[in-house]
Amino acid sequence: MFILVMAVVFPLVCGLIVPFLKNIESRKAKLSLVIAMQAVESVFCALIIFSQTMRTGVFKITDVITLGFSSDMLAKFFLGIICVGWLLVLLYACVYMKHEKDEERFFSFMLLSEGAMVGAALSAGLVSMYVFYEFVTLFSAPLVIHSLSKESVAAAKKYLYYSVAGAFAALFGIFVLSGECSLEFAAGGNLENASPLALAAVFVMCVGFGAKAGMFPLHGWLPTAHPVAPAPASALLSAIIAKAGVLAIIRTVFFTVGADVLFGTWVQTALLCLCLLTVLMGSMMAYREKVFKKRLAYSTVSQISYVLCGLFLFTEAGVEGALLQILFHAIVKVGLFLCCGALIFLYGKTNVDEVHGMGRKMPVTFSCFTLLSLSLIGIPPTGGFISKWYLASASLESSLGVFAWLVPVVLLASALLTAGYLLSISIHAFFPREGSAQTMEIRKEPVLMLIPIVILAILCLLGGLFAAPVTDIIGRIASSVM
Amino acid sequence: MNMPIFALVLLPFAAAFLCRAVGRKNEENCAVVSTACCALTFALCILCAVFAYGESLKIPIFGFSFSLGGFHAVYGIVSAFMWSASALLSHQYFKGHHNKSRYNFFLLLTLGATMGVFLSADLFTTFIFFEIMSFTSYVWVVQEQTDEAMAAGKTYITIAALGGMVALMGLFLLYNITGTLEIDVLYEAVSASGKSAKLYVCAFCLLFGFGAKAGMFPLHIWLPKAHPVAPAPASALLSGVLTKAGVFGILVITGHILRDDKIWGYTLLALAVVTMVLGAVLAVFSVNLKRTLACSSLSQIGFILTGVSMITLLGEENALAANGTFLYMINHSVVKLVLFLAAGAIYMSAHTLDLNKLRGFGRGKPFLAVIFLVGACSLAGVPGFCGYISKTLVHESIVEYAHHAGTLITVVEWLFLFSGGLTVAYMTKLFVAIFIEKGSGDGKKMKLSLASKLALIFSAIPLIVLGILPHALSEKITQTMLPLANGHAFHHAVEYTAWANLKGVLISLLIGAVVYFVFVRTLLIKRKDGRKTYICPWSDKLSLENLVYVPVCKGFIAAFGALLAFFDKLPERLIGAGIFVLSVICRAADDVTDFFALLLRKTVLGDTKEIQVRHKHRVAYAVGSVLDKLTSSEEHTHAKKFSRVMETVSHTTSRIFGNFSFALLMACLGICTILLLLIFVF
Repeated sequence: MFILVMAVVFPLVCGLIVPFLKNIESRKAKLSLVIAMQAVESVFCALIIFSQTMRTGVFKITDVITLGFSSDMLAKFFLGIICVGWLLVLLYACVYMKHEKDEERFFSFMLLSEGAMVGAALSAGLVSMYVFYEFVTLFSAPLVIHSLSKESVAAAKKYLYYSVAGAFAALFGIFVLSGECSLEFAAGGNLENASPLALAAVFVMCVGFGAKAGMFPLHGWLPTAHPVAPAPASALLSAIIAKAGVLAIIRTVFFTVGADVLFGTWVQTALLCLCLLTVLMGSMMAYREKVFKKRLAYSTVSQISYVLCGLFLFTEAGVEGALLQILFHAIVKVGLFLCCGALIFLYGKTNVDEVHGMGRKMPVTFSCFTLLSLSLIGIPPTGGFISKWYLASASLESSLGVFAWLVPVVLLASALLTAGYLLSISIHAFFPREGSAQTMEIRKEPVLMLIPIVILAILCLLGGLFAAPVTDIIGRIASSVM
Repeated sequence: MNMPIFALVLLPFAAAFLCRAVGRKNEENCAVVSTACCALTFALCILCAVFAYGESLKIPIFGFSFSLGGFHAVYGIVSAFMWSASALLSHQYFKGHHNKSRYNFFLLLTLGATMGVFLSADLFTTFIFFEIMSFTSYVWVVQEQTDEAMAAGKTYITIAALGGMVALMGLFLLYNITGTLEIDVLYEAVSASGKSAKLYVCAFCLLFGFGAKAGMFPLHIWLPKAHPVAPAPASALLSGVLTKAGVFGILVITGHILRDDKIWGYTLLALAVVTMVLGAVLAVFSVNLKRTLACSSLSQIGFILTGVSMITLLGEENALAANGTFLYMINHSVVKLVLFLAAGAIYMSAHTLDLNKLRGFGRGKPFLAVIFLVGACSLAGVPGFCGYISKTLVHESIVEYAHHAGTLITVVEWLFLFSGGLTVAYMTKLFVAIFIEKGSGDGKKMKLSLASKLALIFSAIPLIVLGILPHALSEKITQTMLPLANGHAFHHAVEYTAWANLKGVLISLLIGAVVYFVFVRTLLIKRKDGRKTYICPWSDKLSLENLVYVPVCKGFIAAFGALLAFFDKLPERLIGAGIFVLSVICRAADDVTDFFALLLRKTVLGDTKEIQVRHKHRVAYAVGSVLDKLTSSEEHTHAKKFSRVMETVSHTTSRIFGNFSFALLMACLGICTILLLLIFVF
């Protein structure tokens, strides 16, 4: 029980300590210390994941406002993604942040936002999750602002505005729900019958939390914030922190309200419409975008809405598909941003038109990039194919009329656009037209930068190949949600 | 456990990485590794087919399921055989080329994927390897990295991705309808669920995906572009094997999803006939050796698909169609291997594929001429070669169905014969141009290495063997393949030497001769600078891709993109507009009280007229003067002070009296007085 609190508090405390490491002369010692902190946190997470479900006592601020932690299956799932993601990105950032100023501040806020994320994942009630959710926003905004340029300040402001606006919309929903049912999480939900007001509240909450997940209409911050943030920050924001919105939506819909109450209501229709629009819009905008990181950001907008599509089917199969998509999108998107970051770090290239012939100069990076891209498109035998398969068959199984076949069609149309905007990069990188071979010096990719990228690429390949064990575990988590 | 079956798939994948590792040290050794691997796979495949025939293998952890019976075994062997021959030739072909290691790496990956496709026992496995195959073979197309190759690669990968996605939709639907994707039990599951619109949507989605790979009209656009630009050994495989992976999928639909379904049969027949005629016509016009062969592939796929549609349409009596189609597939695979490898051999020394520059190249090279002739004859269906058997069987099946179905099918039969005639015409055109006519290519030396010669000989042998042993070998092979398409066995032996069967081929040959002498020799040969030159009046611009697909796609993406971009920016614009409107409203609300105050001051609350204040108050001044005198003050202190005080007082009172509030006060007082009077007096 104590370990649950430790897992949340430890990174927060570490985050507060890190700024004081500035006085340490040796960069190596400093970074080793940060990595050690992350390693300890990973151990905490691992201990939680591999032990039984635990609950801490509920700390009551008022009768309604309570704080408490519990490690159910879903929390463990998110915990796993968070601790692996942070560890890999931190390793990468050790190299990447070499050229940036104030790296202590960056690492400090990285750890702080990890603490907030872990807190949000482990929360046992809507209110405590909301608190940590807000902290995630506050702690991750300085990651965006890191370079302190005019654009980054503007982008961070936009990120804050969108997230906070979304969170307030959600808060309104919490007020309404607190009058209708208990706000403690319980699988299957607490609400017996949904009044029209409660339905409206759920809708507003989903749209509000959807801000972080990049769902239309509050998706605007993603393409603004990603290009200006340092690559490790973009990777975390896009692949994991944005999933805080998904987590919040799962906790609201499945653990507070209950999916049965919402099935077939106007809320489902409206949310599915928003998701499908977002899926297509994100892919199309990515296809038209020329700035590498912005393209990836739009791709995130599209891909996280795949997850939401699965969730809003309100069936167990849909949740299974959504969780698979969360997993593989996290792996792939961290990987893609790290590849993109390597390109920026080594050659200072930020535009997709500039990758001509880079495949020969950065063979490992671009091989991994291609593999990860194939996964994002959903080409077998990679993980993305598995998640797409589950999402589509879940949708076809559901009795949703038009949406039953519209969801797979939209997913496949979006996959086609994804192929258009990702494979073209690989093709330009590996097969430059003759004569366009540049005579730029070859800079070696630092090993510490390659390790996370290669690990992620291998993970996404293995996940696709050994699909049976993965879907087994995810299936159990999904059934624990309903 | 039947792990050897899985080894057939795994071996090439593993060898690919070995090849890459070897290639780091010395690129020359890559080809050795890949040839060895291909040969090993071929040998293993034959061994498996002998000792483990009909076995199947499920690997739950991957979700894969393989089978080594019938079609699976035969096409596994055919693929491995073709890969071996192609790899054997590639030693000499790639001498002096770049990126050999890359080519061999992807050659082996694609071999593994192709084995996976043909050995797969359920459509899930098929699809996985199908997609791997599509994407790894892309590298073959762009191997040369010329502008042409990149453009062809773009078309290739677009169609492959599109086809893959649509096929995936088909699989989703199929799984949703039947709950299984295992080929053997698919038909029962489909019959149990009954025919529905959903099933047709599913089948046509699958047809789209597999048809795209097969090169079926209207998704054929990649084929004439991609096959010529790939290196010749790769073209042979693209044309000979990869298209068959598409046909494999279509056979599964025919045999196990829409068995004996007329709608399916006629749709497929229509598409097949268009493909067959279109490909043949394009091939006649072409002046590029490999492009002619590519268009010929298109046409031949049309022939094969015509056979497939006959399998469906003839139902119980489909023995001719089924056997013919399977043999046609094998024939086409091997023929294209021979012809593309021969084209590769020509390209190695001539460094061109243009017929006008190649003219006369083959004179005095009997080995090459014989090999080429074997391929050409088998393709054209000359008796004695494998192509004759297969074409005759398919033709007879059309004749048979024409008895039931009437004129429409008779038209199809004539189109079949006509396309056969065009086949004869364009192969004659190639042979005459390269091996008979004199021209600029004459006298160029050619040195084939032993490996290349062996590759050519090996690939030509099956055509002759299958051609002269129709009953003993060809039919035996095709009979094992029948279950895949729900084909039925022969009721009675076919007399291949009977006049009725020879007649069809003779008509085709006749049409071919007429087309060649009347059309090709007169209209497609022009005199330029005193020399006879083959011309191609068929403009490149006149293609379905350039005229329809590209503009439509561009327009669609532009329109749809603009719409979605509008949605993308919509929230921001709405927020901006909302903030503007809100700020206007808030400012208005903020100022509304002031506004009323201002209004009142300007109207009822304004000051009344300014009261003139006398400069000096006489009485006060007089009193002050008196006081001054009494205190004998020189300076009139009191007088000034008093008058100033009085001035202030009168000024203030004047303001009080002139004020609206005073008036109200007075009115109040008046009312109070009246009230008091009312109360106390009355």
